[in-house]
Amino acid sequence: MKMTYTIKYIINSLAILLVFCATTQAQNDSIISAKTDSIKHKESYGLRLGGDLSKLIRSFIDDEYKGFEINADYRLSKKWYVAGEFGVEDKTTINDYLNVDTKGSYFKAGVDYNAYENWYGMENMLYGGFRVGASTFSQTLNSYGVYSQNQYWTPQFTSSEGKEFSGLSAIWGEFIIGIKAEVLNNLYVGLNAQFKYMMTQDQPDNFENLYIPGFHKTYDSGGFGFGYGYSISYLIPFYKKNK
Amino acid sequence: MKNIKLIIIPVIVTFLTFLSCEKDDICSETTETTPSLHVAFYDVNFTSTDTPKNVTRLRVTGIGDPDPGVLSGYDAITSKEAYLPLKTTENSTQYILHRNYRFDDNGVVLGNPDTITISYVRKEIYVSRACGYKTIFENVVITVEDDGDKWIQLVQAVNDNQTVENENDIHYKIYH
Repeated sequence: MKMTYTIKYIINSLAILLVFCATTQAQNDSIISAKTDSIKHKESYGLRLGGDLSKLIRSFIDDEYKGFEINADYRLSKKWYVAGEFGVEDKTTINDYLNVDTKGSYFKAGVDYNAYENWYGMENMLYGGFRVGASTFSQTLNSYGVYSQNQYWTPQFTSSEGKEFSGLSAIWGEFIIGIKAEVLNNLYVGLNAQFKYMMTQDQPDNFENLYIPGFHKTYDSGGFGFGYGYSISYLIPFYKKNK
Repeated sequence: MKNIKLIIIPVIVTFLTFLSCEKDDICSETTETTPSLHVAFYDVNFTSTDTPKNVTRLRVTGIGDPDPGVLSGYDAITSKEAYLPLKTTENSTQYILHRNYRFDDNGVVLGNPDTITISYVRKEIYVSRACGYKTIFENVVITVEDDGDKWIQLVQAVNDNQTVENENDIHYKIYH
């Protein structure tokens, strides 16, 4: 039942997305013909610095999460940017059998490609990119319980000794898609989604990494991971260049 | 600027969809978790050839506080094997294996109960996010209390330093 709704949502939003893409195209077409005038617009090149608002907001509303991320990109050419993120996360994972605290920091570096044809005078981004991410972290198993299908003897064993697995690390690759829109002069807000794939990680002895800073939740079914961000950033312009 | 705003809405919807459909963290029944002790019954007259022999009207009850009552599935059944769950909170578990369990006309219990004590060393092994840990048992030893009228003649571990890690293999042979 839940699945049908989910599929419906995905299809709906994709359909909406397609419609808007089409209108964007149409509008752009009409602009091209009007671009024959002689006014030349210069675009800003520089360093854009910002932070992730979603992680800050989540730190306030979610008792089991604390974290922040700062991000930066530097424009290399008309389409290409080098980009990177640095963040710190502290996440508690609790279910019926486990209570785990993951703490650590991460660093991501890569490139973004702006696929958006801006209208005259605008400097927005609709981009895709690639990152390599690395994290160092520790996991503390606060408590755990034993699972038994047969419940003849109850309750089952539980332990709350507390056990720390420190000095763990992980490296992954990720694809990122997103948008950045200039809302005030040189001030940008953006949304992005990340699709991650684990390359290598240290697994703790007789336990596993349930959460990795920057990579987020791990899945039993494979090395995939997902993330999203809502960023606000400021462009420090170094120089201007013609289109 | 206007068209950027129009794109944001479906993108947000897509993100929320991804967030809401995380995999359910429910421990699947096919996952191997804490195993039970698997015992099989053999004929004491043919110990060298291991001839399976049914125990008739077998009733299994655990000894514990609170009284757990009869073990589900073992209330006066005829069987050549039994699966006995072990306590994960203690280092031993006791059971009464009652053979030929029945009542006479006056409601008096007949048959022959034998008390066994299973002692072991526990070890917790990580299974998965959804199942947590399982307990495995090492150095499992069964002793039969001598009540002067034992129907269990001989108890033999299949391996030295018998471990109980999964239920597929027989762990102990009980001859009668």
